[in-house]
Amino acid sequence: MDDYKFLFKVVLVGNAGVGKTCLVRRFTQGLFPPGQGATIGVDFMIKTVELENEKVKLQIWDTAGQERFRSITQSYYRSAHALILVYDISSQPTFDCLQDWLREIEEYASNKVLRVLVGNKTDREDREIPTSVGEDFANRHNMYFVETSAKEAENVERLFMVIASELMEQARSKELPRYETPALSSRSTSVGDGGCCGGRFS
Amino acid sequence: MDCIDSREKIDELYKKLTQQEEENDKYLESIMARQVNLEAKLNNITKALPNLQILHNDAVKLADMISHTSTLAESVSAKVRQLDISRSRVSECQQRVQDLQDLKLCKEGVKTALENEEYEKAAGHIHRFLAMDQAALKKTASHMSQGRSVEDCFTQLDSATKELRLIVAKNFEQAAAKDNAADVERFFKIFPLLGDKAEGLKRFSTYLAGKLTVMAQKTLKTCLDTPIHDKRAPVVYADALTLLFEGIARVLEAHQPIVETFYGPGNLLDVIERLQQECDKESRKILTELIQRRNLDHIVRQVDDASRGGAPMHTVASSASLVSMAASASGGQTHRRAGSTGGSVESDRKVPDPRDLDPLLNELSIAHSRAELYMRFLRRRITTDFESGDEEQREAGLKQMELVLQRSDLCRLMQELLGHYLLLERYYMSESVRKAMTLDTLDGEDSQTSSVLDDVFYILRMSIRRSSQSGSMDGTCAVINDACTLLEIDFCSYLHRQLKKGYSSGYLDLTAQAYNMWQSSLQQGRLNTSTQSDSDSARVMFLAHLNNADASLEFIKVMIRGLEEDIVTSIGAKNLTANDQAKLSSCLSGFGSVTASLRHVAEYGLQQLIASAVKPRTGPWVDAFMQANHQLTEEEFASYEADEPFVQNLIHNLEGLLSSFKAKLTFANYDALVGHVASEITTQMEKVIMKSCFNRLGGLALDKEVRALAGYLTAATTLSIRDKLARLTQIATVLNLEKPSEMSDYWGSSAGHLWRLTASEVRQIMLLRVDFKAEEIKKLKL
Ligand SMILES: Nc1nc2c(ncn2[C@@H]2O[C@H](COP(=O)(O)OP(=O)(O)OP(=O)(O)O)[C@@H](O)[C@H]2O)c(=O)[nH]1
Ligand SMILES: [Mg+2]
Repeated sequence: MDDYKFLFKVVLVGNAGVGKTCLVRRFTQGLFPPGQGATIGVDFMIKTVELENEKVKLQIWDTAGQERFRSITQSYYRSAHALILVYDISSQPTFDCLQDWLREIEEYASNKVLRVLVGNKTDREDREIPTSVGEDFANRHNMYFVETSAKEAENVERLFMVIASELMEQARSKELPRYETPALSSRSTSVGDGGCCGGRFS
Repeated sequence: MDCIDSREKIDELYKKLTQQEEENDKYLESIMARQVNLEAKLNNITKALPNLQILHNDAVKLADMISHTSTLAESVSAKVRQLDISRSRVSECQQRVQDLQDLKLCKEGVKTALENEEYEKAAGHIHRFLAMDQAALKKTASHMSQGRSVEDCFTQLDSATKELRLIVAKNFEQAAAKDNAADVERFFKIFPLLGDKAEGLKRFSTYLAGKLTVMAQKTLKTCLDTPIHDKRAPVVYADALTLLFEGIARVLEAHQPIVETFYGPGNLLDVIERLQQECDKESRKILTELIQRRNLDHIVRQVDDASRGGAPMHTVASSASLVSMAASASGGQTHRRAGSTGGSVESDRKVPDPRDLDPLLNELSIAHSRAELYMRFLRRRITTDFESGDEEQREAGLKQMELVLQRSDLCRLMQELLGHYLLLERYYMSESVRKAMTLDTLDGEDSQTSSVLDDVFYILRMSIRRSSQSGSMDGTCAVINDACTLLEIDFCSYLHRQLKKGYSSGYLDLTAQAYNMWQSSLQQGRLNTSTQSDSDSARVMFLAHLNNADASLEFIKVMIRGLEEDIVTSIGAKNLTANDQAKLSSCLSGFGSVTASLRHVAEYGLQQLIASAVKPRTGPWVDAFMQANHQLTEEEFASYEADEPFVQNLIHNLEGLLSSFKAKLTFANYDALVGHVASEITTQMEKVIMKSCFNRLGGLALDKEVRALAGYLTAATTLSIRDKLARLTQIATVLNLEKPSEMSDYWGSSAGHLWRLTASEVRQIMLLRVDFKAEEIKKLKL
């Protein structure tokens, strides 16, 4: 049961109420939790997926968006293989804060971390951020981009599966024996230059 | 078709026909025999026919009878049912008559009881009155043409109820104001009798809340009056919170039984919800004091700026003027801090000394843990209180409890406090680790490691422990994560930086002669220590750092084991959910990647050591091989074999080299060093062999020498290095052949020879044998 070939840490960040917990629950439990309360501290969930006949274990850390939990959240950046930065497409303020979040990521995360921008709640009628604006932002900051709806289960599975396969690819290319540097700044599993944006999601 | 052309055939056919006839006869006879039997049976049936008719008639009759009986039964049971209804009406009627009689009694009773101020008695009557089915009573009374008097009773009792409620409320408030516990309890008990539980609970909770306020003010004052030099002074605010929470717990414990006895279970949450408002107010006061007096906001801002700006904290700290350092040394610190809230540029630039943060961090952690304990206490109490209720009620109650507690100010304030604590703890760790690096020295003469190792792990373990004392798993995990980051980034790159300097550059310039000179001066005790001491200590430090990297692996293992225990004890095994456990072990596993990085660092250090201390010295030793003659006569061989000058010299030198490191390196590092030396020597040996020529006896001598060398190296380490020696051994084997043709036997045989040499390499090596003909070697099938 607990045999897996790869283990990846995925960390979700973003303003309070953008739907991080709902995305995780949709992916791990296949449901949209009614009356989801704000996350306290950080939540931890595991889901093992199968990709190309390999078991990939995803360790998902769902952080609290509220300001007072920032120090807890910050401590998780460093060990993340992938960071999912979420905003709410129906809320301009959550989009405006992306800059701040990026600053945090720059400061605390490994520069090799896989970064994904997610615009959530596409099911809502009152959209404030057009898709192209989100896409643009992601492009400018070397991030993958995808729009989701945790409520309608849109793109949620894909979001995590693409992350898993991307990380798996990176890990594999890293498996080749390498000699040079006494890798100080990176863990053994993340490489990736985050090059082309959105390619795999579009 | 067969034609009947012979007598034999005719006979045969006749025989067949006769046989058939006989069979037919037999068959007929048996049929005839059965006729009798059948006739008898038919007879019987004919006789039975009339009986069947009778049976049918009987069955019809029976069916009639049954249906009749059932009708009868139904009508009987209907009657019974009617009887039942009648009986219950009668008893209802009796009850109503009883009620009517009681009604009068109640009316009278209440009146006298009220007149005599016997409130319990009056309430008893009212309680009886409220339990009656008033609408039904009115109806009955109107049938009995007693409507008026009953109506009267109702009006009077209703107004008596109202009156009593007012009286009880008033008396309760008076008792509460005087803090007359006996009276408070007396009137509190009456509310439920008057059908006014909610009102009673509300008033009672408010009364308790008032008690809390008084108590909290007293304790806060005592705490604030704690003299500055008192032992508890550094934790007075945590103490104040402790006293507050303990006070609330005491109040609850003292009053819960009353509530439960007279109001039943399931009411505690309402009381606590009200008390929590008070608790919120009081804890906010205490925390506000803490933040102000400890200058928390300012420190947090400083630390935040320092780590955000990534400013050269180093220089900022060391450039702080001596005056201010003196001030802090003379204890003028609290005063200065309190005065610096204005935020002058200068004081903003100053970063706090981690040591100064120690008491504050302790206090924050303790404060958080007290709140955590208090919340746990409330949860336990409320859960027990809901236990007797039904499933649904309990679930709703527990859900409500979580909402109440999580939305409380206290909870939010504590989350903020924890956030500040974590920020400061991170700063504390990274600054202390940085300091440990600048103060790094050798622990002592025979110490393999330097002070940074003990210091860093001491700091990290201490901080993680402190975080676990806060009682928050999320907080503990955050500090563990931060500690991992510190080790992986700061500590590893520190070691890496140190190792990058190399094992004293002096060695690189040492030619074999210079080295020999140095050695002989050593032997003669003429070493000029003063000029050597600098590079000496650099070398010792280099080895210490190499050892630090290796020893860290063990330190981490020990630390993880210790921490798991620490954390489980300080948070409490029974308070840990499965999810908490999973979080913890996942975060602890972060040390795994630290371990990997440390291994890289150690490996890098070894490479450095090999490059500076091994390669330059072994080169000349091995090169001596080329000066020796490898085409030996029997005589030469005999004398060579006697003392193997080359290899014994090499081994002697290696022994000298390795033994100089043996005591100075950790076991693992020493083993790894021997491994590297083995690789280095074999590569170098291979090179010089390829530049030499051998005859039969020269090959034999080489084979012996290689064996001796391999024997020495294998014995020098606990690791298996056979692999590293395989090529060299095989080269010696090839050079030690009697004649070229032997080679194809070796090559083809399954003698377990896993050849590390390619066929062309083998040929090349064989060509080194002057006595082997190139022709023959070429012809070999390999
Ligand atoms: N319409 C719509 N609502 C959503 C969607 N995802 C989440 N929500 C709603 O958004 C609110 C917040 O969702 P959460 O998942 O708790 O948000 P969060 O990012 O985890 O918030 P914090 O834990 O406070 O950081 C909830 O009321 C959800 O029902 C979505 O895809 N569509
Ligand atoms: Mg959440």
